[in-house]
Amino acid sequence: MSKISRRDLLQYIGAGGIGAVGGVLYSESIERDVELIIPQVVPPEDYSPGIATWYNTVCNQCSAGCGISVRIREGKAKKIEGNPVHPVSQGRLCARGQSGLNVLYNPDRIREPLTNAGQRGTGNFYPISWDEVLTTIASRIGRLKIENNASRVRLLTGRVRGHLDELFAQFMGLLGSDHYQQYDFTYPSALKAANKISFGIDQLPYYDIKNADLLLSFGADYLGTWISPVHHSLAYGHMRQGRAGRRGKTVQVEPRMSLSGAAADEWVAARPGTEGLLALGIAHILVSDGHYNGSDRDQWSDVLQAYSPSAVSAETDISEGNIRQLAREFGTSKAALAIAGGATTAGTNAVASAVAVNALNHLAGNLGQPGGIIFNSDQAFSATPGTRQAGMQGILDLVEAMEAGEVDVLLVHDSNPIFSLPDGVGFRQALDKVPLIVALSSFRDETTEQADLILPTNTYLESWGDDVPDPGVGFPVASISQPVVTTLYDTLPVGDIILSLARQIGGELPMAMPWRTMEEFVKERWREEYAMRESGGADQDFEAFWQAALEAGVWGQPGVMTGDQIVPSSSSTIAAITNPASQFAGSETDYPLVLHPYLSASLLDGRGANLPWLQELPDPLTSVVYGSWAELNPATAEDLGIREGDVLEVETPAGSVKVPALIFPALRPGVVAMPIGQGHTSYGRYARNRGANPMDLVSMQIDDRSGDLAWAATRARVRNTGERLQIIKTDGITRTLGRQILGPENDHA
Amino acid sequence: MSISVLDALRPARKPALLGLVAVFGLLIGAWVHGKYFSDRSPVQPIEFSHKVHAADNEIPCQHCHIYADTTPVAGVPSVSKCIGCHKFLPSVRDQPEILKLMAFWENREPIPWIKVHDVPDFVHFTHKRHVKADLECQECHGPVETMDRITRVATMRMPWCVDCHTEKNVEHGRDCWTCHK
Amino acid sequence: MKWGSDLSTLVEKFRQYLKPGYYDEFDYHWTMTIDLDRCTGCEACVVACQAENNLPIVGEKRYARNREIKWIRIERYWEGEYPDVKMGFIPMLCQHCDDAPCEIACPVFATYHNQDGLNTQIYNRCIGTRTCAVYCPYEVRYFNWFTYTWDEPLEQQLNPDVTVREKGVMEKCTFCIQRIRLAKDNAKDDDRRRVRDGEVVPACVQSCPTEAMAFGDSNDPEAKVSKMMKDPRAYTVLEELNTTPSIVYLKKAHAES
Repeated sequence: MSKISRRDLLQYIGAGGIGAVGGVLYSESIERDVELIIPQVVPPEDYSPGIATWYNTVCNQCSAGCGISVRIREGKAKKIEGNPVHPVSQGRLCARGQSGLNVLYNPDRIREPLTNAGQRGTGNFYPISWDEVLTTIASRIGRLKIENNASRVRLLTGRVRGHLDELFAQFMGLLGSDHYQQYDFTYPSALKAANKISFGIDQLPYYDIKNADLLLSFGADYLGTWISPVHHSLAYGHMRQGRAGRRGKTVQVEPRMSLSGAAADEWVAARPGTEGLLALGIAHILVSDGHYNGSDRDQWSDVLQAYSPSAVSAETDISEGNIRQLAREFGTSKAALAIAGGATTAGTNAVASAVAVNALNHLAGNLGQPGGIIFNSDQAFSATPGTRQAGMQGILDLVEAMEAGEVDVLLVHDSNPIFSLPDGVGFRQALDKVPLIVALSSFRDETTEQADLILPTNTYLESWGDDVPDPGVGFPVASISQPVVTTLYDTLPVGDIILSLARQIGGELPMAMPWRTMEEFVKERWREEYAMRESGGADQDFEAFWQAALEAGVWGQPGVMTGDQIVPSSSSTIAAITNPASQFAGSETDYPLVLHPYLSASLLDGRGANLPWLQELPDPLTSVVYGSWAELNPATAEDLGIREGDVLEVETPAGSVKVPALIFPALRPGVVAMPIGQGHTSYGRYARNRGANPMDLVSMQIDDRSGDLAWAATRARVRNTGERLQIIKTDGITRTLGRQILGPENDHA
Repeated sequence: MSISVLDALRPARKPALLGLVAVFGLLIGAWVHGKYFSDRSPVQPIEFSHKVHAADNEIPCQHCHIYADTTPVAGVPSVSKCIGCHKFLPSVRDQPEILKLMAFWENREPIPWIKVHDVPDFVHFTHKRHVKADLECQECHGPVETMDRITRVATMRMPWCVDCHTEKNVEHGRDCWTCHK
Repeated sequence: MKWGSDLSTLVEKFRQYLKPGYYDEFDYHWTMTIDLDRCTGCEACVVACQAENNLPIVGEKRYARNREIKWIRIERYWEGEYPDVKMGFIPMLCQHCDDAPCEIACPVFATYHNQDGLNTQIYNRCIGTRTCAVYCPYEVRYFNWFTYTWDEPLEQQLNPDVTVREKGVMEKCTFCIQRIRLAKDNAKDDDRRRVRDGEVVPACVQSCPTEAMAFGDSNDPEAKVSKMMKDPRAYTVLEELNTTPSIVYLKKAHAES
C-alpha cells in the first residue's frame, strides 16, 4: 500500500466531510415540512374531524331573502348552497348568494371600532374601544332624550326586515323619535305604490310565474335583478320545461336587452318611457277585440279609448301589427301575467306605467289565480315588510332636516345613499350639518367614510336574526338567520349594539328591551308567535319546535295559495289610468341620446363591487370583467364614428363621466346604456377607483305619483375623447358562424 | 506504440478516490441524518409511550383513536381523553410527563403533537375506508406497541401506497383520482 | 408462427388500445345534461364552481392578457341584427369526452380516462407542456401561468377536499370528483355499493336556479340523465369531431307562433 501524504489525507478527509454535509443537506431537503396535529381539548358533542357540518341561515346579498345552507369544515365556512327546504330558494342559489363567502372573509372588513378623531372626510380613522364608543353615543342620545329632543336622532338603514326591523323601531320609538327610515336603491317603490293604488294593498304581491303561460315583462329583469331572482328562475325553468306538453312564452319590453330579455322569446324595444303606453295599447285591444268580457267592460272601454293601436304605435315606435299580435297572444293565453320593473318603473311616469301593467292583469283575469298575481295575506308575525322603505322622498326629507340643523345624531346601517343616489340629492353636503354621524357597518363604503364613529357589525353569516321574505311566496314563511362561524373580529351584531345602547341610555329602554342579545330577542318573539299559533303551546314543545326550526332554517305554513284570495275590483285601476309622457332631463337637441342605467347582474346597485368573485365574473350579456362601459347600438356607434374601446365622455345635465364604449347589438338606437355598480371611491381594494358610476349622470327627476327617483329619465350625449382603453372581455367571436354550437339547425331556426 | 490502459488511467486515480470518499461521506451523512435529525421519530411535547399504554396496559388502539373508523382523519385523542383515565391514576400523578399533561389541562391548552404519519395536501386519504377494510393498524404504522417514541416505519410515499393497493386488489385502487384530489 | 392467429391478437390489441382508457365499459358513466331552454346565462354555476374548487382570483391585469381561469363559463352567441337580434347562452365546461383529444396529447399521461368515464387531470404528473389545451376543441383547459395567492383571510374559504394548484399545471372541470368520491364513500358505508341517482351533484348543477342542469350515471336507465338524453332536442357540441362528449345539451325550444 502506497503511503498517503498529509496533503492527500487532508483532501480525502475534506472530500468525505463535504460528502457527509452534502448527504445531510440532501436528506433534509427531501424531507417534508413538519406539521403539527392539534387535538381538541374537550371535543364538542357531535364533533367529527374531517366531516363537514351544515348550518341553515338567510342570505343577505339582495332583498329576496333566500334560505341558504353553509358548509362548515373545522369552524370555517367553505361553501354556500341554497337551503333545499326553503320555499324561496328551494336548494338553489344565484351568483351573488354564492359570493357571500367573500363578504365574510373579505380582506377589507372593518375589524374594530373606529373614530375619525374629528377629521371627518379625510379618510383617517383610529381604533377606539367598544366601551368608549358605546358610552359616547349612549350619552349623546341619552342627553337628547332627557331634553325631550330625541327626535333629533335619526336612523337610516338599508333593507331590514324581520325582528331586527322591529328592534330598530322599538328603540327609536322608546327614545321618542319617529325618524327611522329605510333606503334600498333596489326596492321597487313605484311598483308598490302602483299596487296600492290598483289593489289597495300596501305590500308586494307574489307573481306566480311558475304557472303562467305567457309572461309579458315591461322592463322587469326578473331573472337577473328584480325582486327575487332565484325564485323567479326556478319558476321560469318550470314554466319552460317543467310541465309536459306546455311551454310558457315570455316577452320582454325594454330598450336594452337584459338577462330576462335574452331568455325571452320576443324582445320588444319600445321607445324609452313609453312602455306604460304600450301596455295601455294592448289593454285597448284586449277590450275592443272581445278578449275581455267582464261586467265592467264599458268602463274599461271608456278609459282606454284614446289608446288605439295606431296612436300607440306612433308613440312607442312598435308596429301596429306587433301590438295586435301581443294583445292577441295575451288575450288568448290560458294564464297570462304582466309584470313591470327596471326602467319602466324608473321614469317620471313610473307609477302610471305600473298601473297600466296592472290593468293588463285585471283584464287577463289572473288576480288570485294560478299563474297570476297572488296576494300575500297572512304573513308570519303579521309582518308588513317594506313599509319603512321611504324611497328617495324619504332621503330628500332627511336631507332637508339635516340642512335645517334638525339632526344631532345620524345612525346609518347598511345603506349607501352617497353612492346610490345622484349628487343632486345633496346627501354628502347635508351631512356637514350633523354633529355626530355613527355608521354601523362592516365595510368602509362611501357613506361610512363620512362617519365620525364606525361600529363594525357582524356580517350576516355571523349574526342571529330572522326574515320574512318580501314578497312572500303566497303563504306565511319566516326564515331564521343564525351564525355559521364564530365572529372573526372585534365586531358585534347590529342587534346587540342596539340592545347595548338601550341598556346604557337607561330609563324605560332597558325595561322594555331587556334582552342581552339578538338571539335572546328573536327566540322570545318566536316563542310568542308559537304560543299564539299553537294556542298556548307548552314551553317544552316550543324548545323542540325551536330546535327543528334552527335545523331547517325556516318555518312555513304551505297552504292553498289561491281560493281564499279576495280579488280586488278593477275600479281603482280604471280610475287611476293615465298616460303621462315620461319627462326627460335635457333637451333632445343638446342631449340626443337617452341614458339607460341598469342594475348589474353581479354587482347589483354597487353592493357587490367589493367582492373579488363578482368583479371577476364576466357580465352575463357582455362578458366584461373589472370595469364599466357605455353601450351603444352598432348603428348609433357607426353614425358617431365610435369603435369599441374608444373612451367616451358621457355627459348629461347632471354631470359627466369617462368610460370606454362597447358595441351592443340588442340596444335601441338613440340609447346609451351603462351598468350600475362600479365607480366606487371607497369600499375596499376590489371596488375602489374602478369604472364609473352612472348615478353621477342621473338628473334629479322625480316620479310624480310616488316621489321616488326617476333614474331612467335623463338624456345624454357622448363625445369621443380620442383615448382608447382596453375593455377586458372574455368573449371572443360571439357568432356561431355555422358551427351549430347552440344545436343542430332545423327549419324552425 | 502501445499504451497500457492502467498506465493511462493512473493520473485519474486520485480524483476517483476522492470521488469515492465523497460518495461514501454522502451515504454516511444521509444515515446520520436519518438517525438523529429526521422527522421519522420526532421528540414530542410529552414523551407519551405507546409501549406503556398499548402493550403493558393493553389498551386497544381505537379506545383512544376514536375517529379512526368513522372519519377521514384519525386524529389524536383530545386532552380530555387522557385526563379521563389519568384523573384516576394517583400512582403516576407526579411523574414529569404526567405533570406536563396536567399543566396543559389546567390551562385548557391543546397539546401540539408533531405529526409523524403525514400525507401531502394533494392526497386524499381516508382512515375510515382503510380501517373498515379490516387492515390492522400495525400494517401501516408498524409495531406501535413496541415503541416508546412513535417512529414512522413506512415511507408514506406513493409507491408504498400503490404496492398495497395492487397487492390487495383494491377496487379502482390504481386509478389516480382515487387518491389525488 | 401462425400469421392468422397472431394477426388477430394484434388486431385485438389494437382495438383495445383505441378504446378510451382501455375500458370496455364504464363502472359509472358520469354524464351531465344541460337544458338550454332553461339556462338563462345567470352564471350562478360559474361562481359555485369557483367556490367549490379553489379557483384562483386571477385579477384585472391577468384577465386583460386572457389568463382567465373559469372551469365553467357561459358563452354567448348573437343571432341576427337589431331589431331581430337574439342571444343564446351555452355553459361550456370540460365535456369529459370518451374520445378525448387531450388524452392523446399528454406526453406524461397526466390526463387520461378513468373507469367512471371521467377525463382526469392529475396535477402532480402534469409537466405543463400545454399540448392538451391546444388539442381541446372546446377550449376548456386552463393553465396556471402563475401561483395565485389569496388576500388574507380569503384563503380560509378554500375547500380542503380540492388541491390548490401551483404554477405550471393544467386544470379543468373534474365533475367535482371530490363529491363523487364522497358519495361513493358514503355508499360503501351504507353497504349499498352503488351510488343512487341524485346523490352526486356537482357544484354547478346544485346551484343552477332554473334547474337546467342534471347529473348522473348514464349506465343507469332510470337515471334522470338517461331520460334527458332521449329528448328529441338533445345534441352534443361539435358532434362532427367525434369526441363523444359526456355532456348532452338540449337545444332551446321555440315558442309556438
